[in-house]
Amino acid sequence: MKRQGGSALEGIDREWIVKKTMLVMAMMTVLGILLIIFFVAKESMPAFTKAGPANLFSSTWDPKSGRYGMLIFFTGTITTTVGGLLLGTPLAIGSALFLTQMAPRRVRSFFARGVELLAGVPSIVLGWLGFTVMVPWLRSATNSQGTGVLAASIILAIMVLPTITAISKDALEAVPRTYIDASLAMGATRWQTVRKVLIPAAKPGLLVAVILGMGRAIGETMAVALVIGPATAYPTSLTSPTHTLTTKILMEMGESTGVQRSALFAMGLVLLLLSMAMIMLVRMVTRQRKEAA
Amino acid sequence: MSGLGTNTAGKEMVNLQVVENICEPKDERLERILREHIDKHRRKAALADRAFTAATWSIAAVGLGILGFVIAAIFVRGLGTALDPGFLFGKPQAIKEGGGIGPMVASSFYLALLTVALVVPVGVGAAVYMSEFARESRAARLVRFGADSLSAVPSVVFGIFGMVLFVVYFGLGYSLLAGALTLTLLNLPTVMRTSEEALKAVPASYREASLALGATRWETVKKVVLPSAVPGITTGAVLAMGRIVGESAAVIYTVGIFVRKIPVSPLKPAAPMAAHIWHTYTEGALVSDWMRIANGEAAFLLLLVLALNLAARLAARLLAKKTGTVKESG
Repeated sequence: MKRQGGSALEGIDREWIVKKTMLVMAMMTVLGILLIIFFVAKESMPAFTKAGPANLFSSTWDPKSGRYGMLIFFTGTITTTVGGLLLGTPLAIGSALFLTQMAPRRVRSFFARGVELLAGVPSIVLGWLGFTVMVPWLRSATNSQGTGVLAASIILAIMVLPTITAISKDALEAVPRTYIDASLAMGATRWQTVRKVLIPAAKPGLLVAVILGMGRAIGETMAVALVIGPATAYPTSLTSPTHTLTTKILMEMGESTGVQRSALFAMGLVLLLLSMAMIMLVRMVTRQRKEAA
Repeated sequence: MSGLGTNTAGKEMVNLQVVENICEPKDERLERILREHIDKHRRKAALADRAFTAATWSIAAVGLGILGFVIAAIFVRGLGTALDPGFLFGKPQAIKEGGGIGPMVASSFYLALLTVALVVPVGVGAAVYMSEFARESRAARLVRFGADSLSAVPSVVFGIFGMVLFVVYFGLGYSLLAGALTLTLLNLPTVMRTSEEALKAVPASYREASLALGATRWETVKKVVLPSAVPGITTGAVLAMGRIVGESAAVIYTVGIFVRKIPVSPLKPAAPMAAHIWHTYTEGALVSDWMRIANGEAAFLLLLVLALNLAARLAARLLAKKTGTVKESG
């Protein structure tokens, strides 16, 4: 019966169906993020109702006596992230400057490929390398057990390096060539041009690169888990073992139930909120740039 | 952008000219003092410039050094083990020495293929919507926001989410399917983005020609745009496989970390290599040669990821040549 319908109408119908199907597929991204927020929030509810926010955001993690404080892990996440960024950012932006300003053509494509490969190294492999090679080095060099904040920061620096390099490179390449030419024509040196023209012009983009690198460092789990210690204690020095939000979730989710399990989901919720905050920050920075232009 | 000139002199020369014009009649002493001053500045600027050049080159060397060290160290420690067929295809041992990782290798491939089979159609569909139908609509902005947010979620959060929704709520248990569904969401933003780039690289004239011949938008997409974008989409899919086999945090609580036999049904638990390395690390004491196993597994995993990276590039080049269509840049 359907065959008898006008072919033109059928064509339009098919177009409509196809378009809506594609829309549904595209909406999977929205559905996905909503589902993740919903389920992680739902599972963390018991922790908020039974243990309470005051308990959750305290410094004591001792499930046996009903203490579910996550501040230690939050501090661990922040410390290792800052450490990783301090080590990784200069290296990454330097690499981006090298790629865009210094490297001869052939070196450039070789180097860019290397950065891509580094981005592809699985984090468990990097963590395993940290555990088997770097931690023993640090152990003898710092006269401690070798695991801890410093080890995690070094590993994170390697992990954020490709992310920040790639985005910084795009930001530097987006600066109009005429700006640079004008500066050089005025007699400025290459370094003067980079410092006074290129970096100020690319600043919002470089900021986005660092923020996205930060997001990567906050969320990194496996590479950190193998070198962080672990210990449920605040870090007191660079070489003291601690825990991050991600490593605590990873190591205790398997054998926890009830409120403890829910408290781990609450940590997941905090991670989700942090990553959302990063996205908002990036949007704010890019919007400013658009308005300024 | 390479090859900025090292012009250190020009700026100060201009200044000197100005000074000379102002200070008439010529005062020899003043001129000498000014010259010395300017020379000093010029030398300083040249020195700073040289320091900058040296710094960027050494940073680049450190960067490549790190990559080289990571690959070399992992391969030196484990490639010997990894390339032994008895290890690669062998049965794992829970207590005895000399176990292999056969089921883990199979799990990784199985999981990667299953996930790609799920994520590529959805990702390409979403990309077609974004680049061919949506333009700058409100729906498109929403999708963009969803994709951005999704790509910012830490993988361990994907893991515990997948555990709640797919493993427990859908009742799939620890299984390849639960893991594949989780990883589909995890990889959706990237697959969508690479596909979108591939679609955007198809020249507008192709579409215009097809539409001018009376084809509808969907016919144009199906017959003209998608075939031209195949190389780019394939690259994206192979790169996604690399990410899937390397993923562990999202896999540990959805698929599993240890199995004895190669999983046949997608509803069975499995143990992809990346997750099994974690198991070997945490339960290390159980077998005395756990270091050998993890070293070998890490080396094979890295080898696989590097091979997939190469394959992605190669596939793009070959397909582009074969179909004579748009080349994937980069």
